[in-house]
Amino acid sequence: MNVASLEPVVIFTLLNVCMALGLYITALSGQLSMATAAIAGVGGYLSAILTVKFGWPLLPATTIAALAGAAVGTVLALVTLKMRDFILKLTTLAFGEALSVLAFNWDYIGGANSFTGIELKTTIWTALAAMLIALYAAWRFDGSRLGFASRAVRDDPLAAGAMGVSIAQVRTVTFALGAALVGMGGAIQGHYVLVISPHDLGFFVSLNFIIFLLFGGLQTMWGPVVGAILLTALPEILRFSNQYRLILYGLVIVLVVLRRPDGLLTRTPTGRAVRLSRWTLIPARPVNVPLEQRNRPLPASLRRVADSVPLRAAAQ
Amino acid sequence: MDLFLQQLANGLVIGSTYAVVAIGFALAFTVLRVINFAHPDILMVGMFTGLVAAVEWPALGFLVVLAAGALGAGLVGFALERTVIAPLRGRDVLMTLIGTLGVAIMLQNGMAVIAGPDPIAYPALIPRRFVDIGPVTLTLRQVLNFAICLALLALVSLYVRCTAWGRATRAIAERPDVAAAFGVNVSRICQFTILLASMMGGVAAVSVGVLYGSAHAFIGLLYGLKAFICMLVAGNRYFEGVMVVGLAIGFIEALVTGYVSSSLRDAAAFFVLIGVLYFRPNGLFGSYAT
Repeated sequence: MNVASLEPVVIFTLLNVCMALGLYITALSGQLSMATAAIAGVGGYLSAILTVKFGWPLLPATTIAALAGAAVGTVLALVTLKMRDFILKLTTLAFGEALSVLAFNWDYIGGANSFTGIELKTTIWTALAAMLIALYAAWRFDGSRLGFASRAVRDDPLAAGAMGVSIAQVRTVTFALGAALVGMGGAIQGHYVLVISPHDLGFFVSLNFIIFLLFGGLQTMWGPVVGAILLTALPEILRFSNQYRLILYGLVIVLVVLRRPDGLLTRTPTGRAVRLSRWTLIPARPVNVPLEQRNRPLPASLRRVADSVPLRAAAQ
Repeated sequence: MDLFLQQLANGLVIGSTYAVVAIGFALAFTVLRVINFAHPDILMVGMFTGLVAAVEWPALGFLVVLAAGALGAGLVGFALERTVIAPLRGRDVLMTLIGTLGVAIMLQNGMAVIAGPDPIAYPALIPRRFVDIGPVTLTLRQVLNFAICLALLALVSLYVRCTAWGRATRAIAERPDVAAAFGVNVSRICQFTILLASMMGGVAAVSVGVLYGSAHAFIGLLYGLKAFICMLVAGNRYFEGVMVVGLAIGFIEALVTGYVSSSLRDAAAFFVLIGVLYFRPNGLFGSYAT
């Protein structure tokens, strides 16, 4: 395995980390968007139009893509502001599929034949820069007042509102900020893959990012980073068993979901912050874990009675 | 008019398959609060076990092959419930979604390793013959597929409405804790629900395999998303509502293919979903509180 063959893996890993962090910021306020791929696609299509049809350089095109992503995110946040959790996910899902259909039937951007003719402008350094921007944004956001306000909104909107947090503001800003990162990642990815097809906007691509988040864990910003790195690189690492690698990939996902239901990386058991000299890498645990989420094995005699109780926790 | 009736008939045949897959989703989601993304791939396994039975023992006849499909799918479904869904019960819906999605990836690629990634010819268990019903012409296989799917839907409806276990199933869907307090064995019913959904799916899968004359390791993707949409459009309060919506979506797709454009066919279901979610966020027929 030489270095050149690693380049695509590294670039995709960096970009996936960037977009997973975007989704992390959005999800922090409780809006686990299922339109990530669609927002990335908006960024990708827009930047590709700008560079191919108007001859722009990559940097301004990416900036515009990020702004467009933020605009889409704002609109989605405003539309879903009053919706309950599950309906919100479905609305973002339907929105993503609608954009995919739109791209499919719009001949100006290639329609069903995909948008082709994009120049290769992305290098490993561009991708690294995008990842660093996303990392910095997520890190600053995580410890900011807005970051804590978003967690409060996610955990209990009513209480957060009573404490003077503007739910509308928090949800809009987090969605816009996350979507901007996703749009940026999408633009840079488009200039590496060189083809953007309507299928890239669909549900299953979006689901990938959600898997990154839940696989890595949503409690800290490092969860999505680890999830994106591992799950992008894993199919490549498993290339030694080419035939079985996707089976193993599925198996790894199932095992993590079963053995570590909160994701691979969780907060330290004491909930204490992790610091590196003066930088806070992981802030202290801000809220108590609700009783029903503490997963302790029960004696067999109690298990049947308790069988039905967690179902209610899921139902709430 | 004849063309319209023909489209209607074709749409209903496809829609009945959607309805069966969607009922499988709806049963799992309503009773266990699980979005079982492995369900379409359990169907695929049933399709292949039916194929193996039909190829290995050609003398068996159609009914036994259907049973083989039900058996294969049922076994996989039961194993899935025991190993993945039951340990994850009570977790966030998304966790079980990801877990079952992991199983789906394993099933698809595992079958692609065993059977190869290309479609395989399905044995012609039913002769290729045309049937005229009034102005409409269908193949015998289409008629049979429709009949099998309708029979399965009727069976589910009967089970849920008219048996003690079915009543328990609906009770769990409404309030699992209260159902348990009244002596319902929640985990037993949950196991049986997944088993039932999988076995039905297996029967339908064999009939679909015969209808199209081929089996494919990745065929689940084709039905999965649409069946999921059917469930969302209908809401999960009434299983019969899911059936009606499944038929309707097949019908709408046939109309879009016939009168608008075939490239918009797959989008039609999504437009229906967006429209319904906008006006009735809990689905056309209402949902249990989630």
